[in-house]
Amino acid sequence: MILGKTVLTLGESAKAVGRHFVAAMAFSSSLAITSAIAAPAAEAVPAAGYTPMKPTPGIGMPVEGGIGLQQQYSKLGEYGEWIHDGVLMPIITVITLFVLLLIIIIAVRYNRRANPVASKTSHNTILEVVWTLVPVLILIGIAVPSIDLIAKQYKPAPKGALTIKVTGNQWFWTYGYPDNGDFEVVSNMLNLPGQPTINNGVREVGSKPWDGPSHLEVDNRMVVPVGEPIRLQITAADVIHSFAVPSLWFKLDAVPGRINEKVLLVEKPGVYYGQCSELCGAKHGYMPIAVEALPRAQYDAWVLTHAGGVIDGQKPAAVAASPAAPAAVATEAASEAPAADATAAATAE
Amino acid sequence: MATTVPEHFQGNVDHHAHTDHDHKPAFFARWFMSTNHKDIGTMYLIFAIFAGIIGGAFSGMMRVELAEPGIQYLDIFARWFGATNPDFNSTLHVWNVLITAHGLIMVFFMVMPAMIGGFGNWFVPLMIGAPDMAFPRMNNISFWLTVAGFISLLCSAFVPGGTGLGAGTGWTVYAPLSTSGSPGPAVDFGIFALHLAGAGSIMGAINFITTIFNMRAPGMTMHKMPLFVWSVLVTAFLLLLSLPVLAAAITMLLTDRNFGTTFFDPSGGGDPVLYQHLFWFFGHPEVYIMILPGFGIISQIVSTFSKKPVFGYLGMAYAMVAIGVVGFIVWAHHMYATGMSVNTKMYFTAATMVIAVPTGIKIFSWIATMWGGSVEFKSPMVWAIGFIFLFTVGGVTGVVLANGGVDDVLHDTYYVVAHFHYVLSLGAVTALFAGFYYWFPKMSGRMHSEFLAHVHFWIFFIGVNMIFFPMHFLGLQGMPRRYPDYAEAYQHWNHVATIGYMVMATSLVVWLINMIYAYTAGRKAEDSYWGEGATTLEWTLSSPPPYHQFETLPVIEEAAHH
Amino acid sequence: MAEAPALAVPISRRSNRRVAFIALSMALLMLGLGYASVPLYRMFCQVTGYGGTTQRADEAKAAGVQVTDKTMSIRFDANVERGMPWQFKPLQRTDTVTIGERDMALFWAKNDSDKVITGTASFNVEPEQAARYFNKIQCFCFTEQTLQPGEAVKMPVIYYVDPAILNDPDNKDVEQITLSYTFHVTSISDAKTLDHGGTGG
Repeated sequence: MILGKTVLTLGESAKAVGRHFVAAMAFSSSLAITSAIAAPAAEAVPAAGYTPMKPTPGIGMPVEGGIGLQQQYSKLGEYGEWIHDGVLMPIITVITLFVLLLIIIIAVRYNRRANPVASKTSHNTILEVVWTLVPVLILIGIAVPSIDLIAKQYKPAPKGALTIKVTGNQWFWTYGYPDNGDFEVVSNMLNLPGQPTINNGVREVGSKPWDGPSHLEVDNRMVVPVGEPIRLQITAADVIHSFAVPSLWFKLDAVPGRINEKVLLVEKPGVYYGQCSELCGAKHGYMPIAVEALPRAQYDAWVLTHAGGVIDGQKPAAVAASPAAPAAVATEAASEAPAADATAAATAE
Repeated sequence: MATTVPEHFQGNVDHHAHTDHDHKPAFFARWFMSTNHKDIGTMYLIFAIFAGIIGGAFSGMMRVELAEPGIQYLDIFARWFGATNPDFNSTLHVWNVLITAHGLIMVFFMVMPAMIGGFGNWFVPLMIGAPDMAFPRMNNISFWLTVAGFISLLCSAFVPGGTGLGAGTGWTVYAPLSTSGSPGPAVDFGIFALHLAGAGSIMGAINFITTIFNMRAPGMTMHKMPLFVWSVLVTAFLLLLSLPVLAAAITMLLTDRNFGTTFFDPSGGGDPVLYQHLFWFFGHPEVYIMILPGFGIISQIVSTFSKKPVFGYLGMAYAMVAIGVVGFIVWAHHMYATGMSVNTKMYFTAATMVIAVPTGIKIFSWIATMWGGSVEFKSPMVWAIGFIFLFTVGGVTGVVLANGGVDDVLHDTYYVVAHFHYVLSLGAVTALFAGFYYWFPKMSGRMHSEFLAHVHFWIFFIGVNMIFFPMHFLGLQGMPRRYPDYAEAYQHWNHVATIGYMVMATSLVVWLINMIYAYTAGRKAEDSYWGEGATTLEWTLSSPPPYHQFETLPVIEEAAHH
Repeated sequence: MAEAPALAVPISRRSNRRVAFIALSMALLMLGLGYASVPLYRMFCQVTGYGGTTQRADEAKAAGVQVTDKTMSIRFDANVERGMPWQFKPLQRTDTVTIGERDMALFWAKNDSDKVITGTASFNVEPEQAARYFNKIQCFCFTEQTLQPGEAVKMPVIYYVDPAILNDPDNKDVEQITLSYTFHVTSISDAKTLDHGGTGG
């Protein structure tokens, strides 16, 4: 039974390998076209409210056939990427190749024909000391930046940092904004075309021009201000989940009954995708995370599209820059997309 | 190794020959009430192969589903498990049942029974010159407890476990998903399976410890014991000290589930993270339990086919002891994402990296054993060299993952899956095949085909690397583990992995053909068929060894090397 | 290592049993430690503040604390486990307190259901390293809370931040401490049956 299936897929897989390259090309080119069309419209909007940002292909998301880390968009991510790509990878590659080289030399020089009489050497103290001490030194070399990275990751948020509350649920995320009037955003994965309905009342992926990749795009993104440290407080309402965004070097478990806290800083405006990273039941694979980083003014405009959304004294300058009048307009203008979706999702739950 | 071999070891084992020296009981008594370490070892090996086929079939089902994005086959699998008209949640639940069962089966019912129950039972008494295990009847109970555990685990797949049939908690059984998150008896059956298998393993550990301490032949000092025996001894201690902690943890899960206690439930002051601490206090030694006997097997093989004694014998033995000891103080590197304090994370990062040192000693000592040797590339040696390389790859990615700060991006991704399959699937399983080809003629009395064994190796080697090497890429790109479905960008390497699975599965067909060949047309195996390099005591016996061996204990002379 | 070949010559049953007994004792000891880990872990957390566990102080201890001239921002966070029909909120999101001085925070909870619900709150403090300096003198989380159908209550926490935090290098960058609570259902009972039995107390 299994064997039959296996053979079947083997045949198909060969075809599919070819097919998905074509699909990938088509996908990226269509994105390019739509972004060209959507761009002017998006520019016109900010003052009046919020239109979800169109993600850039390959940024903040995995790339087809990629073999390395996702490009990083936070300071710590860049540091971590350097530790991985610049320190760890070269070291482990050299060690592995060194072991391989030794094995090849043995195969060539010490096979039975080349070396009929085996030596009886079974001790060499100097050698044994060397292969104990050299790894120790290498590990110390690795530990120095590695420990430094950990220390930096634990640096608490500065005074006045914006706090966002993340709650994992079976199987969606909610984002609370306690510093902006305590509203809450419910975030569900968009349904997949041709698949059973995953979230009732949520549209299919690709039905709006700003939709990102399937399995990663959500109806309501977690919108954050760009370029400032944000205190993320993470908890769960039922079982353990894990809030993870690979391109922001961020992963922290959402544990029911307690909060975990960590600082997030996004360097560039954009949409960054992640997925739940702790097994949480049936739809564990269907509760992605989409973080949209916007400049402060646009973030404030987004805040005001939510019922009860207020801009507090976080950044007085920014508040002053966005007058109260557009706020009311914004609330109405935004009723078109995300807010409506939010209510739909909330009732569906 | 100079030994005095009792004369009556001319035993060609004939099932119907009831001689005074080689009396075997009738079929039922022999195989169901067995107290003979070789028979029990054989049963463990057959059981492990059987469990491995089931666990391997589960991984095949997973790879088929993962060949493309979207859900294609899970509803079919749900029907196999007895669901009628499964809804989408119970369809997805099947995925979690598969990953859970695959993990538990491979860990508790394949690798452990094969390594410790199979090869340990067979060769520890032979290598130390003992007539049998210290407690033969307890040995029998250990085996049947393991079987009972396996049956309990299989039962769990057919009873409700929350969103669908079966236990879908992952092999880690984290609370609260395994408590309030999984109503229904499936998880209870799964926990009970672990209890049974754990009790069996603890008894086995006590048996091995007693046997190795007390039943060595005259002159077989601790420092003359073959490294395989050392590896089983260290493993037995790890089992003895870690499994009871798991037993306590899962018993508390059981009472949390059924009797209203709140050990791991925050509503009563419990902490779900404590369960993870307890689980990994067991879980990390557990991974060494799976690999250390493999280290022992590889040491024997490398020495045999290089025709050299093991390089740095004491260093090798105590490196295993060191790995065992350090294995108990690094557990929380599995929990870097749970929100631990900065000092804790730094400590576990540093402690974890320390393990690389004794592991490095082992790798380099194996290479030094081969260096200067007259290396014969017979099938066990090819598998052993494959092990050394694959374990190195798995080991260095372990160093990457040890870094708490880097783990932030790799934790619970396919990078971790790749890492632990390189050390366990490619490491432990490769060591098992190496040991199998090394000792199969000794156990069965029949030679396998060396040609087919080599073919098996190369197809397997290519297959497993195709499956697991791309998983590093998927992990670096951020693909989380335990996902039945994924974004399109992950399709390419998932495809490669699925094709790799088929290649690997083909190699197992070659293995089965080889076994059929051995039993139907295989040459009769000599006593010491690998020649002069094989110096441990099992090679002084016939192939297969007589039903009772060493009735007169062999004496190991002073000059004997390891 | 025991280099005693003499041991192995006769397969002494008694000796085997002794080794097995020692091994079994080790296993049982580890089993006991597994269970003991629950209270030990709790004690460890309470003493060290590990996992963000706050300290509990009595009036006498609190009275002896030196008030400093430094301040600290405190954030309050409230959660309800999924399915529990309560609303639960802090009445103020943040507060600035003088380190060493006791302060009171109010939380508000309302039972939205038609059942009598008893709840217990779990809690922790972030950043974790600040927990050992966060002392609660009085807290609604010390006991179970029972709310009648539709009942709303204000619940106080009286706390202070230990001035020793100022001397701890691990806490030198901490600008804000968050105190988080999550309410869990302890028991649900039918309002009507309770009305019959109870006197409304």
